[in-house]
Amino acid sequence: MSEVPLLEVRDLAVTFETAGGPLPAVSGVSFTVGPNETLGIVGESGSGKTVLARSIMGLQPRARVTTTGSVRLNGSETVGASEAELRRLWSTEVAMIFQDPMTALNPVMRVGKQIDETLRVRLGMSRPAAKARAIELLEMVGIPSPAQRYDAYPGQLSGGMRQRVVIAAALACTPKLLLADEPTTGLDVTIQAQILNLLDDLKDRLHMSVVLITHDLGVVATRTSHLAVMYAGRIVEFGATRDVFARHRMPYTRALLESSPRVANPSHTRLAAIPGRPPNLLTLGEGCAFAPRCAYASERCHVERPPLSAPDAAGHTFACWNPLTEESR
Amino acid sequence: MLRYVVRRLVMLLGIVVVISIGSFYLIHLLPGDPAAVILGTGDTPANRAILYKQLGLDRPMVVQYFIWLRNILHGNFGISFISQTSVASTIRAALPIDLELILLSQILAFAAAIPLAMRSARKPDGFVDRILGAGSFTLLSIPPFIIIVLLVLVISIKLGIPNTGPSSYVSLGTDWIVNLESLTLPAITLAIGSFVLYYRVLRSDLIATLQEEFITVARSKGISRRRIMWRHAFRPSSVALLGSAGVNIGGLLASGFVVEYLLAIPGLGYTLIAAINASDYLLVQGIVLVVSVGVVVINFFFDFVINIVDPRISRE
Repeated sequence: MSEVPLLEVRDLAVTFETAGGPLPAVSGVSFTVGPNETLGIVGESGSGKTVLARSIMGLQPRARVTTTGSVRLNGSETVGASEAELRRLWSTEVAMIFQDPMTALNPVMRVGKQIDETLRVRLGMSRPAAKARAIELLEMVGIPSPAQRYDAYPGQLSGGMRQRVVIAAALACTPKLLLADEPTTGLDVTIQAQILNLLDDLKDRLHMSVVLITHDLGVVATRTSHLAVMYAGRIVEFGATRDVFARHRMPYTRALLESSPRVANPSHTRLAAIPGRPPNLLTLGEGCAFAPRCAYASERCHVERPPLSAPDAAGHTFACWNPLTEESR
Repeated sequence: MLRYVVRRLVMLLGIVVVISIGSFYLIHLLPGDPAAVILGTGDTPANRAILYKQLGLDRPMVVQYFIWLRNILHGNFGISFISQTSVASTIRAALPIDLELILLSQILAFAAAIPLAMRSARKPDGFVDRILGAGSFTLLSIPPFIIIVLLVLVISIKLGIPNTGPSSYVSLGTDWIVNLESLTLPAITLAIGSFVLYYRVLRSDLIATLQEEFITVARSKGISRRRIMWRHAFRPSSVALLGSAGVNIGGLLASGFVVEYLLAIPGLGYTLIAAINASDYLLVQGIVLVVSVGVVVINFFFDFVINIVDPRISRE
C-alpha cells in the first residue's frame, strides 16, 4: 500500500430494507487503494460486489437503503454526501464502468454526444472542443474511424465497441479512480481480453487507480496488485494478488481457485464446483457464512463468525477459524 | 431511413385512394335521388334523363369516380345544391379555424403535460404525483360539455373574456386579439382531454426509463437531474407520447365538432353539423374527405417524427 490512499473504505455496511427484513448486502468492508494501484474484488454472484461499487460511488438509491461507515475518495467523504457534493466528484475524481454495455448507453443518443456531454457539463468545454476531444477519446479506446463512429447510435455498434465507448465516456474527465464493475461479463471471450488489456494500458497512460470487480479469477490474476475476496457481503481474504493466489488461507478462496479452469490442467479435467449455494443474506446466522459449504468447518464456525486476522507483514489477512496451511493447501 | 419513408409514403397514398373511393360512394349510399331535389316539381322521366346526361350520372360508376377524382385534385369539390356556393370555398373558410384551434389546444396540452409528467416521474407516488394523478383523473371524468359550461362561467363571465359566436368570429389576420379571445375557451376545453392523455402516457414511460441503467450511468458522470430528465429520459420516453398525440389529434378533428357546435365556432365541425341538418350531401362529402385525409396525414407525420426520435424503429 502506498502512503496516501486515494480510496479509503472503513467499516462500510449497506443494508436494504426488504419485505423479509433487513438484508445486509455489504458488511464491515474496509480497504484502501493507493495511487496507480489496481485492486481486484472477486466473489460469486450476489456476494455484494456491485452494491459495494455503487456504494463507493454514492450511486446507491437512498430509499430503503442504510449505508454506514466511511468512504473517503481523495479525502472527500461520500457516505451521506448530498448528490450535489457527489456530482463534483463524479467523472473528475471517480468514474465507473458498468457491467452491461448493451444497457449502459442511451439507445437514442449518438455515442459521441454521450461522451462530449460529460466534457461540456463537467469541464465547461465548448461544443467544438468537446467534439474534438470526444473523437480523440474514441481513438484512444481503439475505435476505428472515430470521426464517423461519433455519429453512430449505440445500436449500430457491437458489444465490444459499445464497451469501448462506455470506457471512453468514463475516462473523459481523466478520473483518478476507475471502478470497473464486471467490465467484460457481457462480452465475447475474444473481446474480453482486448477490453482488459485496454483498461490496463489506459491505467498506466492516465495514471489512474483501478478497482476491478469480477467473478473471474483469471481476469484479476495478472492485472491487479491486490485482491479482495468477498463472500456474503464481507471481505473474507485480502492481500497482494500473488499472496492470495499462492498462499491463500481461506477455504472459500481455494474453492474459487479450484473452480476456475487452468491452462496447466490436462484436458477433460473436471472443474470442482463449490457445493451448495450462496447463503440467503436474510437468514445469516451467527457463524461463518461459508461454514455450511466448507469442508473444513468445525463446531465453532457455525456459532461464531471469524473476524479478519491481523495482517501479516505483506498485509495479507483472512477471516477463518481453520485456515489452510502449507500442507492442507 | 429513406427506404422507410418511401414505403410509408406508398402506404399513405394507398390509404388516401381507399378514402377517396369511400367518400365517393358515400353520396351514392344516401337515400333519395339528387335529380329529384334539383328538378323539384319538374321531375318527369324525360327531364330526369336530360339532367342525368348533364350531370354525367348516366356514365359508368368507375368513369364517374375518375371524373370526380380529377375535379377534387383540381380543388373542385363541386357546387352545393343547397347553398349554391362552392364546397371548396366553404371548406377553405372553415378549415383554418380548426387548424388554429387544434394547434392552440396542443400547445397548451404539451406545455402543461411535459413539465408536470417530469415532476411526477421524479418521485412516483410522492405527494405531487398523487395530487396530479387524482387531478388528472377528475378532469378525465368530466365530459367536455360540462367543462365548457364551467369554463364559460369562469372565463367568459368572471374574467370577462368574450366568447364570440359564428357571426362575430374574426380571423387571425384581421384582429388577432379578438381571434385569440374567441378561441381561448374551445382551445382550453380541447386541451384538457389531450393534457390528461399526454400527462399519463409520458409519466409512466418516464418512470420506466428512469429505471434504466443508462440513467444511472448518466448520473455517474455528474450530470444534473434536470439535464438527465430532458436530455436522457425525455426522448426515449416520448415514443408512446407521440403515437398517442397522432391518434389524439386525428380524433380532435372529429371530437372538436362538439366543442365547436356548443360554442358556435364556425369551423369544420360546426359546418358539418349544419350541412347534415340541411342534407347538403356534397358539403358533407367534401368535409369527410378533407378530415379523413387530414387524419391520415397527421398520423403519418407523427410516425415520421417517432422515427427521428427513436432511430431503432426504422432500423428494425
